[in-house]
Amino acid sequence: MMENRSHFPAEDGAKTAPALVRLENICKSYGPVQANRNICLEVHAGEILALLGENGAGKSTLMSILSGKSRQDSGTIFVDGIPAPFRSPHDALEAGIGMVYQHFMLVEAMTVTQNLLLGQAHGILNPKAMRERVLELAARYGFEIDPDAVISSLSMGERQRVEILKLLYRDCRVLILDEPTAVLTPPETKQLFSALRRMASDGKAIVFISHKMREVLDLATQISILRRGEIVDHFLRADVPGERELAERMVGRQMDAVVVQTPVAKGEVLLELDGATCGMAKDLRCRIRRGEVLAVVGVAGNGQRELVEMVTGAARPESGPDSVRILGRSWQEFVKQRPGRNGLVYIPEDRKGVATCPALDLLDNFLLTCRDEFQRFGFLDRRRAAAAAEGVMREYQVVADGLHASAGSLSGGNLQKMVLGREFYREPRLIVAENPTQGLDIGAMEEVWRRILAARSHAGVLLVTSDLREAVTLADTFAVMYRGRFIDVFSHTDTERLEAVGMMMAGIRFGEKEEERGRSGREA
Amino acid sequence: MTWDIFVALLAATVLAGTPLLYATMGELITERSGVLNLGVEGMMIMGAFFAFIVEYKTGNPWLATLAAGLGAACIGFLHGVVCLVFQGNQTVSGLALTIFGVGLSDYLGAPFIGQKTVGFQSFDIPLLSDIPVLGPVFFQHDPLVYLSFVLPWVVMWFFRRTSLGLALCAAGEAPEAVRAAGLNPVRMRWLGICAGAFFVGVGGAYLSLCATHLWTHNLTAGKGWIAVALVIFAFWRPRRALLGAYLFGGIMALQLRMQALGTAIPSSLMMMLPYALTILALLVSSARGKGRSAPAALGENIAPGA
Repeated sequence: MMENRSHFPAEDGAKTAPALVRLENICKSYGPVQANRNICLEVHAGEILALLGENGAGKSTLMSILSGKSRQDSGTIFVDGIPAPFRSPHDALEAGIGMVYQHFMLVEAMTVTQNLLLGQAHGILNPKAMRERVLELAARYGFEIDPDAVISSLSMGERQRVEILKLLYRDCRVLILDEPTAVLTPPETKQLFSALRRMASDGKAIVFISHKMREVLDLATQISILRRGEIVDHFLRADVPGERELAERMVGRQMDAVVVQTPVAKGEVLLELDGATCGMAKDLRCRIRRGEVLAVVGVAGNGQRELVEMVTGAARPESGPDSVRILGRSWQEFVKQRPGRNGLVYIPEDRKGVATCPALDLLDNFLLTCRDEFQRFGFLDRRRAAAAAEGVMREYQVVADGLHASAGSLSGGNLQKMVLGREFYREPRLIVAENPTQGLDIGAMEEVWRRILAARSHAGVLLVTSDLREAVTLADTFAVMYRGRFIDVFSHTDTERLEAVGMMMAGIRFGEKEEERGRSGREA
Repeated sequence: MTWDIFVALLAATVLAGTPLLYATMGELITERSGVLNLGVEGMMIMGAFFAFIVEYKTGNPWLATLAAGLGAACIGFLHGVVCLVFQGNQTVSGLALTIFGVGLSDYLGAPFIGQKTVGFQSFDIPLLSDIPVLGPVFFQHDPLVYLSFVLPWVVMWFFRRTSLGLALCAAGEAPEAVRAAGLNPVRMRWLGICAGAFFVGVGGAYLSLCATHLWTHNLTAGKGWIAVALVIFAFWRPRRALLGAYLFGGIMALQLRMQALGTAIPSSLMMMLPYALTILALLVSSARGKGRSAPAALGENIAPGA
């Protein structure tokens, strides 16, 4: 990637010219938490800067300041060497700094062209001319996109391209991407990276936020490591000591031995899908036994939600009553009378909203799913429940301001530990976990993994995840989901298939030939 | 003879549909910007009152129409203060506006009940009005009717072909995307509320200046509510709103004619027809499908600074 810099014609000039953007002593606090502390950073034209850090390290805060979404408490942003106080994203965009947010800022009911026109054209619109410009820009960076497609019909990868096109159309000189690969399949990631390289060689500066080491090393020309709100290290790509060292600087300690899965004895079948169909999820077949973790991997939106809703009883399977058997009973019987204890528990992806009520305190949130345990003649024994909830908090090391702190005030990691503790309190036999470590830092992530592995002694686990590392760490069996179907189910000992998981996630079956790959890739 | 009755019925349909069309277009603009306004009935009747009183004092129907629009926009402004400044509940605020508007117009208008106004006079468009059937149905009316013909197309053009219209619709779909694009979604909603209220007010003006030419108690008689339902019936699309307004106008005209002809059906049942049809229309349009969905952020307030 270093050679890209030489493509930039004014390389020598760029070094002497003021940086496109320079941050000086940026500080930002949210209440008692200091998210950014004295951050100094420079980006020049033609550079790809990776901002590496754990979740909660302050990357997103820093970038939302740079993109004008939040305002720093102190410190200055310089654009072309001139102080630029940003009061809104509008100011930042005017200065040529644009951001692709992790949650896309697109109007789903409108077309690609309309989204690009929003806020960029004035007075009377000319969609036809605009359409041409979109095609021209897209072709230049190797994006395939239909300007008339409505956003809601596009894949996540395509939506991301629209977001990038929005910035390119505005002639943004600095593009900030927040975790750009989180929603992409491996081939889409490749495509994105080559487009970003082309933009850098066109003289744009790219800043991308990531916590994935591999990507950072693949793409970046500069790497800054952020830890607890401070820049702790800055490397040129050529000077990077190695992946492992980079990870250690990011975490700030020696990496613990990663959680290791040791197989436990398998018991009775707890979940059996036999041609189960529900909405987008079609003809699913698999079994989970006690002591087994089945990881459903795939890009989000390929039917995982329907699968989870069906297994947790929120959605009725469309395929006969016996196509889904939970804890030895048919779906219907199971849903009619769910066992409170030793039954099925659900760890939703959405911690603040589905798993908990953010406005309620921890005790009430504990009671949300555990209330049956503390009933006496139809009344809740809150004292006993409080004791139990406190026990869970101690055992799971939940850091919170007591039982009466609201769930919304907890950090993601602590809240997830609380949810895990609450669900495991009922000693479930079947656990459905959906991206259980999304947004957690490495410490919390390992803790959650350990807990899930420990639960195997009495339970089977259906793990739905878009994080391959998580699947590899935990799973005995893999099911790759694509367009609602399991396109392959295999054991973790099948290393050949495991290598090919990335391609399978893009819909290419194991053993398919290269030329077929191209075809099905286009279909997708 | 029966043919003449039919043509007269169609002409009456257009007349009865016009105030609905104005009110529906107004509410449609407001809802497309993401604000639910259940105060249409109140704004409409206040519009009717403003129009009446200005016409009564000045005798200028155009000035009266303008006053009706601006007066209703002022009431819409109150809705904006509640929903956009204080992030209040849009449903409650709208209902309150309806109660407020109906009550205030009744109170202020009490001394004028039965007073006549000149208002707009019908004006035949040369040549077009001579076309058989189409002429009497569409081109022998007053100026507000003619203006209403082009309104849906103008609104549609505004939504699709102007940057302001695009931003207004985006504010109703994804306010955070509007903000990320460097625009202010709250401002778009202000525009949606006030511009929408203006047209609702004009719909009210039509009632006192063209339809009845007098001021009376309960002039709107639930037409504002029908407009709210029509927006849903129209799936938030301007041209479908035209269809809906004339459909309801037709029913209203029909029931009046049938009452006049003295059918065996009790008049109270006949008068119920438009409202029964409203329920039916809502039931039918609740079947969701592609291109039928409400603006995604309709009824959701924009968190400050988000």
